[in-house]
Amino acid sequence: MSILEVKDLKKVYTSRFGTQKVEALRCVNFSVERGEYVAVMGESGSGKTTLLNLLAALDKPTAGQVLLDGVDTSTLPEKNIASFRRDQLGFVFQEFNLLDTFTLEDNIYLPLVLAGMNYAEMEKRLKPLAEELGIAELLKKYPYEVSGGQKQRAAAARALITEPKLLLADEPTGALDSRSTDELLSLFAEVNRKGQTIVMVTHSVKAASHATRVLFIRDGEVYHQLYRGNDSNEQLYQKISDTLTVLTTGGEIA
Amino acid sequence: MRFYLRLALDGMKKNKQLYKPYLLTCIGMVMMFYILSSLSFSPAIRSMRSGDTVSLILILGTIVIGVFSLLFLAYTNSFLIRRRNKEFGLYNILGMNKWNISIIILLETLITALFTITAGVLLGILFSKLAELFLMRMSGAEVDYQIRISPVGILMAFIVFGAIFFLLLLVSLARVRLSNPLSLLKSEAAGEKPPKGNLLLALAGFVILAVAYYFSVSIETPLSALALFFAAVIMVIIATYLLFIAGSVVLCRILQKNKSYYYKASHFVSVSSMAFRMKRNGAGLASICILATMVLVMISSTGCLYFGSENALRGMQPYDMTATVFMDSGKYCTSESAETLRRIIFDKTQGKETNIAAYSYIETFGLLENGEIDIDGAEENTTNPSLLSQIRTIIMIPRADYEQLTGSRTELADDEILVWSSGKPYPFDKLTIEGLRTMKVRDRLSDPPVRVSTEDTIVTALIVVIPDWDVIVDELDKLDDELGSSFMVRQRIAFDLPGIDAEEDRRLMDSISDAGNEQIEKDPDCGWVFVRTESFLSTKNYYYDLNGSFFFLGIVLSIIFIAAAALIIYYKQLSEGYEDRARFAIMQKVGMTPGEIKSTINTQILTVFFAPLLFAGLHLCFAFPFVEKLIRLFGVSNRLVLILSSLACFLVFALFYIFVYRGTAHTYYNIVSTSERE
Repeated sequence: MSILEVKDLKKVYTSRFGTQKVEALRCVNFSVERGEYVAVMGESGSGKTTLLNLLAALDKPTAGQVLLDGVDTSTLPEKNIASFRRDQLGFVFQEFNLLDTFTLEDNIYLPLVLAGMNYAEMEKRLKPLAEELGIAELLKKYPYEVSGGQKQRAAAARALITEPKLLLADEPTGALDSRSTDELLSLFAEVNRKGQTIVMVTHSVKAASHATRVLFIRDGEVYHQLYRGNDSNEQLYQKISDTLTVLTTGGEIA
Repeated sequence: MRFYLRLALDGMKKNKQLYKPYLLTCIGMVMMFYILSSLSFSPAIRSMRSGDTVSLILILGTIVIGVFSLLFLAYTNSFLIRRRNKEFGLYNILGMNKWNISIIILLETLITALFTITAGVLLGILFSKLAELFLMRMSGAEVDYQIRISPVGILMAFIVFGAIFFLLLLVSLARVRLSNPLSLLKSEAAGEKPPKGNLLLALAGFVILAVAYYFSVSIETPLSALALFFAAVIMVIIATYLLFIAGSVVLCRILQKNKSYYYKASHFVSVSSMAFRMKRNGAGLASICILATMVLVMISSTGCLYFGSENALRGMQPYDMTATVFMDSGKYCTSESAETLRRIIFDKTQGKETNIAAYSYIETFGLLENGEIDIDGAEENTTNPSLLSQIRTIIMIPRADYEQLTGSRTELADDEILVWSSGKPYPFDKLTIEGLRTMKVRDRLSDPPVRVSTEDTIVTALIVVIPDWDVIVDELDKLDDELGSSFMVRQRIAFDLPGIDAEEDRRLMDSISDAGNEQIEKDPDCGWVFVRTESFLSTKNYYYDLNGSFFFLGIVLSIIFIAAAALIIYYKQLSEGYEDRARFAIMQKVGMTPGEIKSTINTQILTVFFAPLLFAGLHLCFAFPFVEKLIRLFGVSNRLVLILSSLACFLVFALFYIFVYRGTAHTYYNIVSTSERE
């Protein structure tokens, strides 16, 4: 069974007095299998972020369903949504979203503390994860003391420490330099190889070329998708570029 | 110009969340200032019996409000300008130069000043009559219901607050001139260093507070309380700042070290953000705490002075009226002179007097040590707190008068005396007054021969019954020249006047002292120097005027201080709300439920809010022994009334505080819970 199923998803934003309606998502359908690494691509305004917000249950769809592991997130009662998000999903954001009042270590612990886990257990989980992400030396530092790449790795650790069913990433490389970008992308590939399901929203071709599948969104619909198959990153990169060229020049894909 | 005016008005309207409370506070301060200054010069107050004293107290209060307004409005103004830097930066980038921005600021200040001063004065005129009635009622004066407008008050309000706003304008203009557009745009910098608790400062604060508290519980006499009070106040202020700034952060750090406590959902976020919050707000919270303590101490002590005067007055004037003749040195009271005084009084009262006590006495004071009275030492050491508990007022009464007062006969040898002491019984077997011979204590009296203040007020009193009066008076006379101090023999007649009213009391007092002075003119050789009359009612009226106006002033100043504290709190919540908004948005994304966010917010706000109140309460408790002894200097010693008035003050204050808390917490929560996407 798919871990994530999106069925006929529609989102319409209405201005305050209902005079103007903006259709952000028209009709989105796709599903993600366990262990997949899916990149969602599209230009600004294509509905990427709206889609991610709906997947994360941060927003309610106008119509359609988001099924995570068979559960329709839009039917969850308000008070359960937060704990659902905490237990089932991990987030990595473009702006890191680390709390500046916490050390990196405490930032990573945050979801576990909220879940009520005891300290010994948390420590046991953090150790290998920190090693893997290369931030074991930085745990006692505050966010303002480390580089962007290090912050993003800490944010990734925070997302992964709950062992989520699905890791959602919103432009995770958007604020990073090229070296940090490479490091983060290979990291994502690595955790995906170990079985972590990832959905990443991006408009970076390079980021998308690390995924196993790439979805293209235009005007609120899934317009096209590419499977990696046996392609290398470079080959996939080329295919994505070609697709984007066609998309932006407004042509149809054969 | 109309364009600038519109920009200025728009700017204030757009920032109404900031400006509304600011304007209200300004109006409140102008109003209070007008009320106090108009009352200081009000003919109704001037016509009160102690009008001069009352109006002096009010003028002092006016000055306090003026100075406080300047400091406080400077603080709030700098806060406002900082908040609006971004807006001005935007104007600058859009092509306005600093001159244009200055015009906007000038117009805004002008509008604010005109509006608040006018509104404040109008409200002041409305409420000053109420305040006047309140004040007159409290001091028991007669009231009229005519509304007066005080031109002096209006003029002073406009001058003083005009000057204050002018200074604020200069500060704001300087701030805009000195800044560049980029720094104006980038108002709140990111990347704040984590607070490091300074253990040394925290410990210092703790120790200083402990010492100040120790002073308070260990002092024994009112005079030493007076000597130590200001030192203790300053120590408490320093300690409060240290504890709030350093101590709170250290506490958070210690809690963070305790893993099993820290890594709990209910403590995790609160404790860590608390450390940051205290680093930024420690000083503000300490200020609130100090203001609150000042209000509480001021109201409870002035309230106790006012409500507790009745008892104290009986202590000060045990008889309804006393007439005292001060005798020329070298002369001592003959029965003839006593008879003259007696006749004058009988003549005036027409026999209405009862409980008559007639006696002569000599009063002096000195340091008591091992049964020796050191008169010189007492004069030199009045400011030495460690010796204060040894100071005694000594009242010497001749045996003959004692026997007449008590109606009993006494067996006293020439070197024997009877002693009565207020407070504890006299502890020694003998008594030596400096330069005189040693006298043996034959007996300790359990009751004083005349009514004296039995309250242990400022200093302990000794009443000494002397057998060979003439010898002592002669000896003291010789001492006069050596010591340069004067031991005037006084002839006193004290009596009660049942059912006398204030007017008759006053008339009687005047007529007795007039008659006494006539007697001095008629017979210059009688040995009288002057005659003084005192009465219970006149003293009472004086004290009610005095304590009533102190209490009134206490209330007025408290209202101002409380309003100031409330505004500081409100602005704190506001600025924190904006800073915390992003933080809580993240937490929500990471999986914090709205309920958890709300409870975290509550914990933090509650702590930030109620820590000052809690400390103020603690300070108040420890100030209690001090206050209790200090108000004894005013003759009031009534523990129950003080406890009640302190308790009442604290409760009213706490209620008000909770009220402010609810209002501001709501604002804070609204800011935090609206997402930044708008």
